[in-house]
Amino acid sequence: MKIPLTITVNGERYDLEIKPNRTLLDLLREDLGLTGTKKGCGLGECGSCTVLLDGEPVKSCLILALQANGKEVLTIEGLGKGKPDPLQIAFVEKGAVQCGFCTPGMIMTAKALLNKNPQPNDLEIKEAIAGNLCRCTGYNKIVEAIKSCAASTKR
Amino acid sequence: MRIRPFEYHTAETIKEALTILEKYGTEIKVIAGGTDLLLAMKQKKILPHHLLNLLEINDLDYINDEPSEIRIGALAKHSYIASHPIIRNEATVLAEATGMIGSWQIRNVATIGGNLCNASPAADSAPPLLALNAKIVIADSKNEKNLPISSFFTGPGTTLLEPDQLLKEIIIPKTKSRRKANAYLKLTRRRGVDLALVGVAFHGELDESGEKLKNVAIAMGGVAPTPIRALEAEAELTDLSYEKAIKKIPIAAKAAVAATQPITDIRATAEYRKDIVDVYVRRTATKVLNILFNKDG
Repeated sequence: MKIPLTITVNGERYDLEIKPNRTLLDLLREDLGLTGTKKGCGLGECGSCTVLLDGEPVKSCLILALQANGKEVLTIEGLGKGKPDPLQIAFVEKGAVQCGFCTPGMIMTAKALLNKNPQPNDLEIKEAIAGNLCRCTGYNKIVEAIKSCAASTKR
Repeated sequence: MRIRPFEYHTAETIKEALTILEKYGTEIKVIAGGTDLLLAMKQKKILPHHLLNLLEINDLDYINDEPSEIRIGALAKHSYIASHPIIRNEATVLAEATGMIGSWQIRNVATIGGNLCNASPAADSAPPLLALNAKIVIADSKNEKNLPISSFFTGPGTTLLEPDQLLKEIIIPKTKSRRKANAYLKLTRRRGVDLALVGVAFHGELDESGEKLKNVAIAMGGVAPTPIRALEAEAELTDLSYEKAIKKIPIAAKAAVAATQPITDIRATAEYRKDIVDVYVRRTATKVLNILFNKDG
């Protein structure tokens, strides 16, 4: 049986009817076609499915879409609407993107961190992205990219 | 991994939730943050026919500072608890432990009620609450009752909650002692985002004279079928001065080890877990004593 769901994704309101066993990730990717958010492990370990739910980073593979009823979701598509976010530019410029699979989740977590703490130090950055795995192991560049945005936000 | 179909229910009040629970009994599972349950459902370890969502219940995620106690709503999330000034000041050990659960994304979703009801022997929120002599409030459609948290866990993954009951609130009593301190240490295989192989919470207070240790509490996770207290180890340190207590720490640590009954599994051997209890009781005890008696550690 399908159940009504009202959800705002990247500023757009959707009134849908969905099956209860749909995760938020599957709703985004399959129903809304927003494939920027990646499905990695599907078990809440890798963080590639990270989106912001009411401003907080969450793993969308471990949340039922219905549990996000009435809430606001921001995905990588919403972050780069119109023009790229400074974080996206920094990731490109600093070479923080290798295979690219972890990148959307990494950037969403970094965005939430900078919203909360505009001037994070290296340790705070590493703690924030501890739940985002990069199998290319390009962590140094990723931390560098996030750090460069911290500085540029200040200016 | 897909989640098998189920029927979905949602409640906006506790009363409504309890009515639904009463109707479906063992057919229904409760979901709060869902970070444990959805994983188990994806892995086909739990296949409920009905799911009851609690997240739409208003005002059950509070942290209330009252004169003689702190009350935490069962839906309070770990990230909220770990960063809350009242918890950081009054129940430091709980802030430390909840801040070490999972990743940031998990702490933003997972709730303290869910962590307790999931009843992992290694649940990080349990040792601090045991050490702080917390109480829990259990509700069913007829009444509510307060119980010490020490009676809540009955085995790995099991609690004394009946299918028609909900864990509603956690109550941490405030101590009247002027000086108190506590600490949590957790052994993991890697430095971030891992579950506890062993968790040790140590709490201590100073008596009225300010010279002796009292209300010592040591609680441990991951080393028995449920989180446990080490009562004999606590007795070894009670009523001692700083110098005597420091000397007694190794004996207390051995007594704590004697209270454990760890298993060997894929993550660690029983022997290793026991050795770590010994080390972590000594470390947390030393840290807490040095804070209490103003010594440089």
